[in-house]
Amino acid sequence: MDTEERVTPEEPTDARRRIGVYICHCGGNISDFVDVAAVRDAVAGDPGVVHVETTLFACSDATQHDMIEQIHQDGLDGLVVASCSPKLHVPTFRAVARRAGLNQFQYTQVNIREQCSWVHSDDRAGATDKATGLVRAGIGHASLSVPLDPVTVATVPAALVVGGGVAGLRAAVGLAELGLGVTLVERADHLGGAVGELGTMFPSGLAGRDLVAQLVDEVAARPAITVLLETELVAKSGTFGNYEVTLRGPAGSEPVTQTVGVLVIATGFDSYEPALGEFGYGIDGVLTLPEFTHLVDSSSGPLTHAGRPVRSIAYVYCVGSRQPGGNEYCSKYCCTATAHVAVEVAKRDDRVAQYHLYRDVRTYGVYELLYEEARKRGSVYLKFADDEPPAVTREGDQLVVTTRDTLTADATLQIPVDLVVLVTGMVPTANHDLTSLLKLPLGSDGFYNEIHPKLRPVETVVDGVLIAGASQGPKTVSESVASALAAVAQSGAMLLKGQAELNPLVAVVDDACAWCGACASVCPYDAIEQVEIDGRAVARISPTACKGCGGCAPYCPNEAINLLGVTTDQVQHMIAGMAGDVHEEVLVS
Amino acid sequence: MSLDVETRPTTSAVRLEPGLAADLRAFGARDFTACFSCGTCTATCPLVDDDATFPRRLLRYGLLGMRDDLLASKELWTCYHCGLCTESCPQGADPAGYMAAARRYAIAGNDPTGLAGALYRRPRRAIAAAALVAVAFAAAMLGVSGTAPASHEALFAFVPEGMIHWTGVAVMALVAVVAVFGVVAMVRGIARHEGVTWRTLTGSAGRSLAWSAAWSAMVTESLAFKRYRDDCAEDEAERAPWWRRRWVVHGLTMWGFTGLLVATMADYGLSLVGLRATGTPEPVWYPVRLLGTIAGLAFLYGVSVLALNRLRRVERSVQTSEVADWLFLALLWLVGLTGLLTELSLYVPGGASFGYGLFVAHVALALDLLVLLPFMKFAHVVYRPVALFFHALARARSAS
Repeated sequence: MDTEERVTPEEPTDARRRIGVYICHCGGNISDFVDVAAVRDAVAGDPGVVHVETTLFACSDATQHDMIEQIHQDGLDGLVVASCSPKLHVPTFRAVARRAGLNQFQYTQVNIREQCSWVHSDDRAGATDKATGLVRAGIGHASLSVPLDPVTVATVPAALVVGGGVAGLRAAVGLAELGLGVTLVERADHLGGAVGELGTMFPSGLAGRDLVAQLVDEVAARPAITVLLETELVAKSGTFGNYEVTLRGPAGSEPVTQTVGVLVIATGFDSYEPALGEFGYGIDGVLTLPEFTHLVDSSSGPLTHAGRPVRSIAYVYCVGSRQPGGNEYCSKYCCTATAHVAVEVAKRDDRVAQYHLYRDVRTYGVYELLYEEARKRGSVYLKFADDEPPAVTREGDQLVVTTRDTLTADATLQIPVDLVVLVTGMVPTANHDLTSLLKLPLGSDGFYNEIHPKLRPVETVVDGVLIAGASQGPKTVSESVASALAAVAQSGAMLLKGQAELNPLVAVVDDACAWCGACASVCPYDAIEQVEIDGRAVARISPTACKGCGGCAPYCPNEAINLLGVTTDQVQHMIAGMAGDVHEEVLVS
Repeated sequence: MSLDVETRPTTSAVRLEPGLAADLRAFGARDFTACFSCGTCTATCPLVDDDATFPRRLLRYGLLGMRDDLLASKELWTCYHCGLCTESCPQGADPAGYMAAARRYAIAGNDPTGLAGALYRRPRRAIAAAALVAVAFAAAMLGVSGTAPASHEALFAFVPEGMIHWTGVAVMALVAVVAVFGVVAMVRGIARHEGVTWRTLTGSAGRSLAWSAAWSAMVTESLAFKRYRDDCAEDEAERAPWWRRRWVVHGLTMWGFTGLLVATMADYGLSLVGLRATGTPEPVWYPVRLLGTIAGLAFLYGVSVLALNRLRRVERSVQTSEVADWLFLALLWLVGLTGLLTELSLYVPGGASFGYGLFVAHVALALDLLVLLPFMKFAHVVYRPVALFFHALARARSAS
């Protein structure tokens, strides 16, 4: 361990900047592989650095407190924290800077954990050198940092909800309850979506259709909500807080435009449609889970199919899910839905034999009870190996499922059954036009992607465009409703103040611009337009539409575009620091 | 010399019978579908052998519908129903109750008449049938009964000995035929499943293995409960005084019953060789009579304690009871009680006033018990030794 934690150079080499540098051990995550004391000693004499120290946990309350003290004591005007990924603690240290009276954008985060110690655990000397370079790059960045202020915009107290399923309906009700105006558009000619077609659900025992009917009543009772059926969102312009949306109704009607502060996208899911022949799909008596659920929900008394009594059922799980090269994700609702429908079948006739051929059972939380009840009511679960899926065949009039059961000494079993249910999962809605219109990013699974599944679960990288329900990924009804309410809360946080603060780290144009249009052609956010200033055509970048991606800057032939927070000079300083060329002339250039 | 072992090729598929689980439920296995094959029962069962799948595998057979494998499993009959598995089952699947139900199912499965199945599925009907058969026998006897001397008790003057004798022989022959069918079905099933052929047993090495297996099944296990005392009764001594322990009580019941059988046979034998006629009054110390009396007392004690234990649920093994359990115990107890009271009536003054009625009841109930033997829990006296034979044979074969 260090003999002396703090090194304060006797005389700062760069009188203009006063930068404090903190190098974090991360409790060993960094210091086990990087000699943090050596890094500290290496940068101690660098220009502008007036204070440098190592710390066990930079993010701890005590260290945050010490940083604030140090900023006051040394009159620091720049702060560098070398610790973990910016995704984790940028908000933490921005807050430290604010509390110390330092502009939050004069703090620089250096990642020496994910990008250094964790990936170079086999090379301590190399990792230490790299960490030194990274910290120097951070110092270079901080030495040219300037105070920046958030962009403030006025917001419209109204929301557009796209999709009239359970998530969209609940979101509309919630938004209205917050006092926001709501326009709810639905592509189909009725509200309700997938849940509207369901019978009883677990654990409420309420039918999906009844739940939807209740929500539709609630929507109808609120004058703040306008419902537009057979209507699609066809155009969007403007910026966060002031989006102008164009809605096209049934053929023959005029498109309408509205101004809204946020958009809540709740376009739901499609059910996986097996290919013909996939697990016997196409053979009479082989149904998908939604088809079977419908069969059960729409009948009563002993179960029949095609006029014949159903005395035995085999459920084949994960059809179309968790397939390499196909849908690799788990739809996570299907195990529960299958257990539920199996219980419903058993309630009607407990002599129906039900075989569940599964890969893994995912009936989490309260749904565990359903899994237990299904088994108690006679459902048998048989696990099959990933590389040896069951085979569904027809022998004369008889459906036969062949599988191997590990728990029966790996015996090969032939199960003669009356029905085979292919437990199919959720796939993203075919929504290409809407996706490209909104420029919403898709995850590798094809569903809409949130910024962070835990920290920012309903926000997308497009400000003011929120996602809810199964459009974001497979969800149960209660999870869909929970995400809808999260989108409501987030909309409230964004709109109820009447104004919003936006990130000031955006692109700016200087006098060198001679309007060639290159930047506007590459901007993915339509943030750049041509304007005339003093008779000269120049580019103007909307600070509210710009996301600070930096895509435009390298295209400018005149180098007229800079990204605030990451200016060209700053990047050059960082490269120089990384390379170890800490020269006065670079610093003062 | 190596033995011919024909194991089922692992590649051949087992055709499931989807209705089996529901069938087993009808036989009293109400909770077993909660089983998720965790194997806790196997971990706690004192009878687990090297393959370490008993009794979990048998539940799996029932769950999936592997009827042939279930009926052909010798392990089904090795269980002593100690109840440890049920006590430790985390899912409340009652493996011990399942095993008992599966044995009932196996009795029904081996029964060529289908009567056993009908009685197990409808417990009330089983009680009615047992009562009806007893009443029918009693009515038949009363129909041919002569005068009942009141001065002294002359039982065979009341109901002719020949009638009782020949009815008994006829019933025994009938029962024997049904039992033989059942045993043959069971032997064929297990032998095929185990890969045991006639050749396996008749070779020189096979013969000695077969003899030792038969000895183990009949004597060491069936009569002396060696495995139960060695493996299953470890903690019973702490929980029950010796006179209430299961193997003592079951032993007294079984040995008492056997003693009564021997006494009856001896009585008939003596009359066959002309030493004394059946029904001749004898003092209590007369050897055959003494054997019968002592065996009768042991039997009645055993059955009474079994019934009391079951009634009071003193043991984890008797936490749940089915009609089948009670019907068997009740018949045994009534037969024992009426027999003892009939004997008592011969020695007490005025015994003749109730002796005749008791005697008719006793004979009717005994015949009832005999008729129902292949169809009720009593059948275990036939099936269990057969299964134990194959079990001992498999052990001997794997050891050799």
